[in-house]
Formats: sequence, structure tokens, C-alpha cells
Amino acid sequence: MLPYLVVSGLTTGSLYALVAMGLVVVYKATSVVNFAHGELFMVGGFLAYTFHVLLKLGYVASLLLAVIAALLLGLVTERIAYRPLMRAPAISLVLAAVGFSFVLKGAARQIWGGLGDYMPFPPVVATPAITLGSIILVPQQLVVLAGALICMGLFTAFFTSTRAGKMLQATAENAKAARLAGIRVERVYAFTWAAGAATGAAAAVLMAPLTFVYPDVGSPLLVKAFAAAVLGGFGSLPGAVLGGFSIGLIENLAGGYLHTSFTDISAFLVIMVVLIVRPTGFFGPRAVRRI
Amino acid sequence: MRILPGVLAIAIAVTLPFASPVAPASAQGTPGVTADEIRIGALGALTGPGYLYGRLIMNGAEVVFNEVNKTGGVHGRKIVLVREDDRCDAATAIAAAKKLIFQHQVFMLHGGGCSNASIAARPEIEKANVPWVVFASVADEVTLPTAPYIFSTALAASIESAAQLEFAQQQGAKRVAVISMRDAWGRARYNPLMEAFKRKSVTPVADEEMSPDANDATPQVLRLRQANPDAVIIVLYPKAAAVYMRDATKLGFKPTQIGQSALGDLLALREQVAIPNALDRFFTISQVRYTPEDPEMERWRGLVEKYFPGDRLSVYNLMGVASATVVVEVLKRAGKDLTRDRLRDELAKLKDFNTNIYPGVISCTPTDHQCHKTPAFMQLTGDKVKTVGVTTVTR
Repeated sequence: MLPYLVVSGLTTGSLYALVAMGLVVVYKATSVVNFAHGELFMVGGFLAYTFHVLLKLGYVASLLLAVIAALLLGLVTERIAYRPLMRAPAISLVLAAVGFSFVLKGAARQIWGGLGDYMPFPPVVATPAITLGSIILVPQQLVVLAGALICMGLFTAFFTSTRAGKMLQATAENAKAARLAGIRVERVYAFTWAAGAATGAAAAVLMAPLTFVYPDVGSPLLVKAFAAAVLGGFGSLPGAVLGGFSIGLIENLAGGYLHTSFTDISAFLVIMVVLIVRPTGFFGPRAVRRI
Repeated sequence: MRILPGVLAIAIAVTLPFASPVAPASAQGTPGVTADEIRIGALGALTGPGYLYGRLIMNGAEVVFNEVNKTGGVHGRKIVLVREDDRCDAATAIAAAKKLIFQHQVFMLHGGGCSNASIAARPEIEKANVPWVVFASVADEVTLPTAPYIFSTALAASIESAAQLEFAQQQGAKRVAVISMRDAWGRARYNPLMEAFKRKSVTPVADEEMSPDANDATPQVLRLRQANPDAVIIVLYPKAAAVYMRDATKLGFKPTQIGQSALGDLLALREQVAIPNALDRFFTISQVRYTPEDPEMERWRGLVEKYFPGDRLSVYNLMGVASATVVVEVLKRAGKDLTRDRLRDELAKLKDFNTNIYPGVISCTPTDHQCHKTPAFMQLTGDKVKTVGVTTVTR
């Protein structure tokens, strides 16, 4: 049971991590928690459903198209819900994001799931589970895990190795200094929202074959991703990854070895304990107080 | 001269209730009954995801009422159905019930889809002494403790739960496990299921929990698999059930699986599970004996499509047809001098009434108003849904 619980936990955790990365990247650059991130994830899933199931395009092509479409949606989100309120109090930005999430959910219900339906997404790999002694391997899960790791790798490479990524980091570090250095900060903000939405969409497309696509799928995922980001130290990308994997693993192991009623609450119990012991999470900057 | 305005005011106050356009004048003083009309209030979700248990059932009921009206109505009175949307929401259901009772002044209510909404509306309806025939809400709290004017033609949750265990044992299962949701809906079924286990002196070999939002059922499936059950009783909503069935199939866990009426649409469930042969050993409860495709249902298929061109006959339409058949029967038995008390009395003594759509007969007593006790078990064979058994629950 243990090996399968671990593989399954890591698979789910990788998706939490990917969603959390999108949340963190927006937060790092703009200091805003994007409460519409779950719905951007959901729209990404529906876009993939449209391309793959309705238009019969290949899975990889659907993934790429969904990510590109989400990127554009991220830009629209920034233009509608963030930029006009850039100088407004933080609460206004939060409310705008929450409002936009409702708009996205309503639109999805209208377009794809008006009657509250949830759409099945065909498995990418039809191969049945492989049993090696006591170890069970489900090829579908391995594909999803590999896909999530590749996406994380690409995302990290973009941040550390490209000019745009470095501009983004510079803006996140100090927006005023970045502006003085000639970086067009507004453009960077827009790109940040787009990048966040794109990672959410990638996670949704990877997750879809394991579960369903439905208008309410974003909210529970946002909660898990938020928890992962908090556990990692909100603002840290490696922390978000570690937090995501940790939550996936904890959920599965607690559900498997304690009782299934612990599946949902176990991760939050651990987070509470971690935050009591280390309030800034795994990789959060230490709060320094000058006296 | 100063007296005139006062007299006018009194005259208006006295005559206004009779002139109100929403309160039809009653020939016998019974609200909602005139010389040529019986006004019935339909309460349920007309919009939102719960529309299956509201609008579609009402459509089925309205087909029956239309057909009765075509042949002259009940004792010369046409049935008029007034619908109110409860959106499966408790607060909205209370408002909708009040509107039907006090504004539309209906004679009786026929409805109740989502249990939470029906439970919330019950006190208002009970207080008003309006007869209510529940057509879909399954929670026992809707009908228990027994209220004089509230009757149900839906299978109660406790009856379904007992039938699930009964069916598992009929299939030869010695080791029975349970996977359930523990929200209000789940508890309404889970608690009576545990009582049924106790009554039979059986202990479930595994008792697992799953959240309605879960996207992964790996821990649940692995724990169930470890317990090695012959049968698993499923108390899950369709989405959670589809996730569970997907993961169970992926992991090669294939005991007999027994669902309940929330999983009544087997073709939809198969589409959602999306893995071939995943439902090979899956059985589920249906409130009605027939599938919509059954040739026996040809008449109703034609009528539903005639009156509601957008509808394709569904199990939910059939539930409405069956429940409305009961309503029409008791209205007939209550006679020409129709009162709410007469209707209540006729409902309370309805015995062995066959709708030919419910799997068994409808029988109520003055103390037991859960009148439907015979679930049908269905299985998917190829592309066809077949009735594989009928279980009458005795208490």
C-alpha cells in the first residue's frame, strides 16, 4: 500500500504545487493574492476539454492551446481586475479578484456546464495498472507526475535563465528600483498574471484525465494550493513546490494509514503545527525586528 | 358626510379579499378549490443543478394532470399546477412554500426535490395544515416524525439504505463494506444504514469516508481492497461515486458495488467513469421500475415530448408521472366535496395502489406516511439498463 500511496500523493501534490506556483508568482510581483486563481485553473481545464474532447485535438496540442489561451485570459484579468485598482487599498484588489472569480465561474457554467454537469476527460494513457509484487503503478498517474515536473522545470528555467524572468524577479524584489532601471513595471505585472494563469491551466490539463472538469473545481484546488504556498512560506517558489508535494503526501498517507476521514483535514493540521513552530513556513523570509 | 369615507373603507376591506386576483374564490370555502379548478402547488428546483429533482419531475407530473384535464378533470375540476422555484436552497424553499400557500392559496402541495430544502420548508407547511405529497426528497426528516398532512411517494433514505444491505446479502455477500459521504445528505443515509447493519447483526468489514469534492479516492480504494469485501455499499453523490469507481477500476478492485437512487442514471455514470467495463458489477437503486427506453414507457415518452418539446423522457419525468398518478387517485377518492381533511384521510388509507411505474405498490397508514417501500435494482448490460431485482423493505 505504501508505494502506491506515495506515488499517488506525489502526483496529486505535484498539481497542488503547480497551482501554488502560479499563486506565488503573482503574489511575489504584485503583493496580491489572486483569489481568482482557482477559477483560472478551472477555465484552463474547460479549454482543454473543448480542444481535446469537443474538437478532437491531440492531448499535447490541447495542453499547449489551453496554456496559451489561459495566458491571454491572465492578461485580461490583469487589465480588468487588477490594473484599474493598482493604487487602491489591498482589500479592493482582493474583492476585485473574488468578484472576477464569480464572473469566470458563472461564464463557465453558462458555456460548458450550465446544469452543473462535470465533464469526464478521457485518460491519456489507456494502459491498465501494472502490479509488481505489492507495488501498483498506474501509468496515467506517472504521465501526470512527469508532466507536472516538466512544467515546474520549464517555469523555473524561465525565471532563472531568461531576460523576462529576471525582469520579473527584479520587479518582485523592488518595483521602484526596477522602474528606475528602465523596466516597464506595468508590463511585467501583466506578464506575471499571464504566467500565473498559464501554470494554473497547465495543472488543470494535467489533472483533468485523473478527475473531472466542472465549474466548481477551482475553489477546493485554490484552498489546497493556498495551503501549499503558506506551508512553503508565501512568496517562495521552491517553498510552494515543497508545500504542494507535502500536502499531497500527507493527505494520502493519513487517509491510507489513519482513516479516510483524515484525508482532507490532515494537511491542515500539519500546517497548523508547522506554522506554530515556524510561522514563516519552510522557506519564508525570517521576520526581523529592529530594536 | 364624514361617515362616508369610513363606510367606504370598511366596504373595501370586506370585499378586497374576494377581489384579489391571486386568491381564487373557493366554492366550498376550501382554498385552491373552485367549481371547475383544483390548484396544486409544485415546490422544487426549477433552476440550478437540482433541476433534475424539481423541474423534470414536475414536467412528468404535469403530463399526468394535462391528460386528466383532457378527459374532464377530477370530478369536473381541472387541475392547475402552480410552480415555485426553491433552487434546492433552504431559505428559498421556505419563501416558495409560503408563496404557494398564502399568495397562490393552493389546495395542496406536490413537490419537494432536495431534502435540505424540503426539511426547511416542512414546519411552515405543517403549520398551515396543507396536504403535501413529497415526490423526490429522501431524507427521513421530511416525513418523520409523521405529520398529519405530509405523505411521501419517494423512497425514504432509511428504506434505500436497508435495501442496499438486503440486496448485498441477496447477492451472496458475506463481507460487506461501506464508502460514504458524511455531509447532511450522506448522514441521512449513512445513519440508517448503520442501524440496518445492527438489526442484521452484521459489522461492515470496512467503513470509509469520502468528501464530495474529492478528486482522488486512492486511500479509500486501497483500504477497502485491504478489507477484501464481497460487496461495497456506496453512499456517494454522482461525482464522488464516479471518482471512486474510476480509481477502483484503475486499481483492479472489482467487488459487487451497490449504489442508491442518486446514482440512478447509469448511462450518465458510465460516461463519467469513462473506463470500459467499470460498471460491470455495479448495481443501483431506482425509484421507478422502468428505464426511459423501455417500450412500456412509450406512451409517457410521447406525452413528455409533446408537452415539453425540450425534454427527453428521463427517470425523473417518470418519478413525476408515478407520483402524480397517486395524487390524481386520492383526489378522485376524496370525492366531489373536496376538502384538505378528506384528502388527508384518503391518503392515510391508501393501500396497495399500483401506479405501474413504481416497482411496488403504494401503501400509507395513519402512522406511516412513507408510502413507497419498494426499490428496484438496476444494472447496465451493454447499452441497456435492466431491472435485476425488486426489494420490499419491511419495518
